[in-house]
Amino acid sequence: MGIEFRHVSYNYAKMNTGFFQALHDISMDISDKGEFICLVGQTGSGKSTLVQHMNALIFPSEGQVVIEGNVITSKRNKKTDYNSLRKHVGLVFQFPEYQLFEETVEKDIMFGPLNFKVPAKEAAASAKEALRQVGLDESYLERSPLNLSGGEKKRVSIAGILALDPDVLVLDEPTSGLDPAGKRHLMELFSEIRENTGKTIVLITHDMDLVYQYASRVLVLNSGELVFDGTPDALFRRKDLSENHLDYPGVVKILKAVKEKFGLSEMDVYKKTPDEAAREIKRVMSS
Amino acid sequence: MKGIVIGQYVPGTGFFYKLDPRTKIAAVVILMVAVFLLKNIPQLLIALALSIVLLLVGRISIGKVLNGLKPLLVLMVFTFFFQVLFNTEGNIVWQTDFYFSLSSMLALAALTVLWRLLVPHVKFRFLLFLVYLVGAFALLHYIPSWYRFATWQFVIYSKGLEMSAFVIIRLLIIITFSTVLTLTTRPTDLTQGLEKIMRPMKFIGINSDEFALIISISLRFIPTIFDEATKIMAAQASRGADFAQGKLKNKVKQIVSLLVPMFIIAFKRSEDLADAMESRNFVPGQPRTRIYELSFRKADAVAAMFIVICLAGSIVLRILT
Repeated sequence: MGIEFRHVSYNYAKMNTGFFQALHDISMDISDKGEFICLVGQTGSGKSTLVQHMNALIFPSEGQVVIEGNVITSKRNKKTDYNSLRKHVGLVFQFPEYQLFEETVEKDIMFGPLNFKVPAKEAAASAKEALRQVGLDESYLERSPLNLSGGEKKRVSIAGILALDPDVLVLDEPTSGLDPAGKRHLMELFSEIRENTGKTIVLITHDMDLVYQYASRVLVLNSGELVFDGTPDALFRRKDLSENHLDYPGVVKILKAVKEKFGLSEMDVYKKTPDEAAREIKRVMSS
Repeated sequence: MKGIVIGQYVPGTGFFYKLDPRTKIAAVVILMVAVFLLKNIPQLLIALALSIVLLLVGRISIGKVLNGLKPLLVLMVFTFFFQVLFNTEGNIVWQTDFYFSLSSMLALAALTVLWRLLVPHVKFRFLLFLVYLVGAFALLHYIPSWYRFATWQFVIYSKGLEMSAFVIIRLLIIITFSTVLTLTTRPTDLTQGLEKIMRPMKFIGINSDEFALIISISLRFIPTIFDEATKIMAAQASRGADFAQGKLKNKVKQIVSLLVPMFIIAFKRSEDLADAMESRNFVPGQPRTRIYELSFRKADAVAAMFIVICLAGSIVLRILT
């Protein structure tokens, strides 16, 4: 099970001039067994369109998406319950302002579970748990979600999806607009969720450091085409990074500069954390 | 949501595109007055022919104008029915009896069930509804009666037909004019035209500049807010909100989940817009310059002549008949 893309294309209708092809012939598999996938690519490369296919918010113009065994094509099938698919694949949008509406944070997080007919008591319990997971304490339960800071809103919106307990958690730029500590905290949270529950995480990001450190797999989109699907190690060893509007992670950049400046030919620049990098520099220096 | 277009401007190069928006707005108002002055069907038919000629001159596809008529189709059909049913002047054109009996009631029930079953599978639902109506009347007339309990004599009078034709043709012409205006004028030009036309109203306390600004900001933000509504709906659908189905109580909740974020975002946007305008030195009430000033050209003079002739013609017709 999981999500399978079979030759998926998606066209946006445009006024007068026909259409704009946002996705072109995408085929790939996402398993629901503990993958950590980062989706990267230039702004406008179709990332958000791609993730909206994952919980059947939009239907492919051509090809098929198979979600938990349900085939989604361009035509709406009366027998498929699209709504229930969204409990398996939880999608968090980029801007929390688009979903927060209730009087209290607790009610807002409970909105999802209640829609899926979870009893109110259980929903309240999962709201509390989800809020704890995203790093906010219980005092937030009774506050208005509309008066929180940007970062707090973001966390509450993520909690709103976490409370659904989906098998695949899809996040559209969850770390944008957060401070570095908040970023790290959220990434650690996703990592933990994946390790503890075996859920698959799919997230869109522009931060190559995060991709290199956390992802088990990277998907690169360029102008609607899937140009890379593999491990981050393989990605950053490729030569065509800048063609796909990507860059090296910060640590790798620094090690590259050090290697060039001091002519250390035997140095391995592909280190994920500053600690590993420091050890590598020490190793090369001492030999 | 993507299909909704407010201000259905379609880029083009025909005669009407060259006209000053002020001319076009004034023309539509005056032509409407002229049409309302006409008194009988032959005169209206001449006006209709004239408006079709105008479409041809402006090289505007008649299909597009017909498209603009679609939302008013229901109104036209109802006008027709009401006139035909309730107008009892003039000669009798056609009359027939409808019988209410046990057999015809059963047949009617069967037809209704058939219609409800067909509805989800048919594209032209309104057409199907009309077919159903006609079918229902045919059943009431032709089904042999068992246990008849009422008879209804149905009479169509000539005046009813005439009046309905009169109202519908008038509506057709007026909509054609306004469609031409919105098809060939950019919303921004339209508001600038309105602003200039309404300027004299300053004397009665209406500030046309501000009025035009309000309209153009609203027009500008309609697509943006639709876009946002689509996104909010997607975000809430991700949390299991089903906007299509569900009980009334759930539906209310789901609409609230759409409206609250929409209002919050709209207010936020208006604040941002106000800041952005002020930081670019916008001062309310001060005179503003524009990149594209409106100008009155030869084509406008031709159009103005034509309109004056139309108005004069209809006044003459009004006095003669």
